Amino acid sequence: MARRRNPKKAQEAKSEAQITRRTAVLGAGGLGIFGILAGRSYQLQIEQSENYLALSEENRFNYQTVLPSRGLVRDRHGEPLASNTLDYRVYLVAEQIDDLTLTLSQLGEVISLSDRELKRIRRDVARRPDFVPVSVKDHVDWDDFAALNMRVHALPGIIPTAGEGRAYPDDGLFSHITGYVGKANDADLAKDEDPLLLQPAFRIGKTGVEQAADKQLRGKAGKLKVEVNARGRVVREWPEPGDAARPGNDVYLTLDAPLQRFAAEQFGEDSGGIAVMDVMTGELRTLLSMPTFDANLFVSGLTQADMDALNSDEKRPQYNKVLSGGYAPASTYKMAVMLAALESRKVDPKRRIFCGGKVRLGNRLFHCWKPEGHGAMNMRDALKHSCDTYFYEISQVIGVEAIAASARRLGLGQRHDIGVAGEKRGIVPEPTWKRDRLGAGWRMGDTLNASIGQGFVLASPMQLAVMVARLANGYNAVSPSLFAGVDQGVFSSLEIDPAHISFVQDAMWSVCEEPGGTAYRNNGLGIPGLDMAGKTGTSQVRGISRAERASGVIKNDELPWKYRDHSIFVGYAPYTNPRFAVGCVVEHAGSGAGRAAEITRAVLGEALRRDGLGPHTDASSDRARL
Amino acid sequence: MTARFEEVDGFGNKLYQINWLLPVLAGLLGVVGVLAILSATNGIWSQGAMQHGVRIAFAFIIMICVAMTNIRVWYTLAYPAYFGALLLLLGVELFGVNVNGSVRWLDLGPIRIQPSELVKPAIVLALARYYHDLPSWRVSDPFGLLGALLLVAVPMALVLRQPDLGTSLLICATGAALIFLAGVSWRVITLASILAAISVPIVWQFGLRDYQRERVLTFFDPSRDPAGASYHITQSKIALGSGGLSGKGYLQGTQRQGGYVPENRTDFISTVIGEEFGFIGSLALMGLYIAVIAACIRLSMQCKAVFSRLLILGLSTTFALYTFINLGMVMGLVPVVGVPLPLVSYGGTVVLVVMGGFGLMLSAHLHTGTQLPRSD
Repeated sequence: MARRRNPKKAQEAKSEAQITRRTAVLGAGGLGIFGILAGRSYQLQIEQSENYLALSEENRFNYQTVLPSRGLVRDRHGEPLASNTLDYRVYLVAEQIDDLTLTLSQLGEVISLSDRELKRIRRDVARRPDFVPVSVKDHVDWDDFAALNMRVHALPGIIPTAGEGRAYPDDGLFSHITGYVGKANDADLAKDEDPLLLQPAFRIGKTGVEQAADKQLRGKAGKLKVEVNARGRVVREWPEPGDAARPGNDVYLTLDAPLQRFAAEQFGEDSGGIAVMDVMTGELRTLLSMPTFDANLFVSGLTQADMDALNSDEKRPQYNKVLSGGYAPASTYKMAVMLAALESRKVDPKRRIFCGGKVRLGNRLFHCWKPEGHGAMNMRDALKHSCDTYFYEISQVIGVEAIAASARRLGLGQRHDIGVAGEKRGIVPEPTWKRDRLGAGWRMGDTLNASIGQGFVLASPMQLAVMVARLANGYNAVSPSLFAGVDQGVFSSLEIDPAHISFVQDAMWSVCEEPGGTAYRNNGLGIPGLDMAGKTGTSQVRGISRAERASGVIKNDELPWKYRDHSIFVGYAPYTNPRFAVGCVVEHAGSGAGRAAEITRAVLGEALRRDGLGPHTDASSDRARL
Repeated sequence: MTARFEEVDGFGNKLYQINWLLPVLAGLLGVVGVLAILSATNGIWSQGAMQHGVRIAFAFIIMICVAMTNIRVWYTLAYPAYFGALLLLLGVELFGVNVNGSVRWLDLGPIRIQPSELVKPAIVLALARYYHDLPSWRVSDPFGLLGALLLVAVPMALVLRQPDLGTSLLICATGAALIFLAGVSWRVITLASILAAISVPIVWQFGLRDYQRERVLTFFDPSRDPAGASYHITQSKIALGSGGLSGKGYLQGTQRQGGYVPENRTDFISTVIGEEFGFIGSLALMGLYIAVIAACIRLSMQCKAVFSRLLILGLSTTFALYTFINLGMVMGLVPVVGVPLPLVSYGGTVVLVVMGGFGLMLSAHLHTGTQLPRSD
């Protein structure tokens, strides 16, 4: 037993020593490894600590763009025509939602979601990272928004928020002028490198003043330092004072909002345009196209139904008739013809011309609006009764070039660049124009047509207002302005003999205030002691066919609406010390002595009442009030 | 023989004779783990810290029970345990649950176990038993080597199939360490080193899966994939480095709060300690591990039987390797292989296996007087 154990013991002792030696080797190795680890730790945490600290800050913080408040568009008294309202929006964050279908159906019980919206939401959710908020609905009304807030605790991942949205008052009464804002498109991005445009919630001016004064209204983006986690979600905000967004500047217009509202009421359901202009300063008090459209629809995103409704309306609500409309000025053009005749001194205003209801030129007959004729007419009576025959005759004497020059001097056939897009030039026809544009020679018949403002002549309601304003002013070629506080400089002189101006003014007065005048039945302004001056016009929309001439002309109100004549009126008031000029077109409303005269009369009266009925003294006092 | 069992009289006395330094150090690591997990989960006890504490306490009791059990029982169970572990590995092969693309788990009704964790102590037990029985002159001869290599190679191959590169390398390293400790001659060691050097490119080409190769490659060139595999390493270095000398303070780590370091409750737990306690904290953590390993080595030196000594050294080698690989990985010295920081990382099986291992060591030390027969 002992013998057998002894070698074993020896062997065990040998192994024991062996293991101890080898343990020492491994132990030393292990200690070495710990040494390396400690060294590495020193390297990371002491030597390179600053680098990693910086990297960790970079990890943590992010900058978010803060949208600036858009400046307001205001009228002359500061009343907002385009403002910012709290817009209630709903977002969802997909990563916080277990069952999107269920959540959306629960949400649908509180706010209505169309199939189209649901489809878009699903598409956005699928496209974007889970943690990015996806817009569910903008412009949620307050009741729904409040109801949603009550239930939001039961709808994880649904985030109701309030942000700024653009709003236009009076359902867009000023839409044609203010224009509207929209999301920046590729064309906007190509033109403008402001990084704000990339922000999904940013809106850029698309039309009207919003577009024209976009840079001024826009403001400057701010930034917000936010702490984010690894998934990019904001954990905390660290506002720094210098980083706040700078809001855009307000833009003041010369418009008088209550007056424009009043004018719109006068139009009622009718279609057309009206411009009210200060005859001294050129400031536009009203610039209205009817019917208006609701610019708010364009901000919220137009539905196909809204679009179809706008496009199929024969009154063309989106069309800016007061600036872009081109209407034959008809008899309102006669003042230009009259002035041309007086200035040429080829026509004696006292000489009478006999009107038998028509004039023969070659083998063509030119009719006066009064088939039985006016009898013998001098110049003043011709305007008062709007006798076409008289103007057919004198135009042949003075020539179309003189008429065109006179019309241009009164502000027709040119843009006045009031600062928003859409102003049309209009047409003041003459032989060179016809050759260049139509490639045809001028014929005397064209002169006769032009002499009563028909044929090729086209003008916008605003241009008509400018024409009357210059006639009322008498000395200066006043130009219209829309932006308040923009110095127009000194208007150039009209360079028309004041006696001739007075003569035309008197004739225009007789139209409104003398028995027999075409607008006499409207009883002037209806303000005791204040007279108005003006001129009616009935603008033909279609040529009268030979067949109709044979069978007798169909009465205007028996025609379909869109073939009826346009009712036109231009005027100014008060007759002495003129203050405001108006150009008004009511589409397809028949005689100018009708709707257009009624509206003009009412609007002029209201403009004067709003101005305190006071006679106008000089331009500077009004400018000082701005 | 039976008389020797009664030498230790009474339960209380025996409990007293346990070398308590190791359990105290292990418990301390467990506490560090609980606090670190608590911070990693933003101070919410229910997200792992509580559970980890319960697991540590439970494993602590298991450890003491294992320690109180006579070493002869473990000596006798060495081979059965080894084959049992192999069977479990085969079970994984046949019925395993697929988690994150690799099959490592075995679902046994209410509990899920990771047999590749159990196989490590099993191999140590088997090898210790093998060398205990093997006459020392046979340690370096072909027969002796072949037996040891087979004991290591079979489970390693099974683990590699799961595929679990980290664990199979750990098994390989542990086996190699034990063979080295058993006294294999330097001639054999040199030969084996040359063979290993030759096999590296072969294994690279045929033995690794794509994602494993990718991990190794991104380790050497982090710019390959800044948001993917190397994101781990970069973010963990940022967390550690931003801690500086003394750290940002407990529960104050910004990288941790932001959730930049993935898996910081499990494998990357030391980033939490490094960020919030800085270089000082990192050194203290390493010091604790050194203390544990030193305590283990001291236990082995106080034992006589080859089985006991190799058992303790083998188990502490596994423990040390876990620590080295995990810390090295977190600091960007070793590729990301998914090895937890023992007793600190969240994870049940590892806590149980490590504490059980300590139990075995303590049992070997406590029963050092017990005669273990050699079947030569």
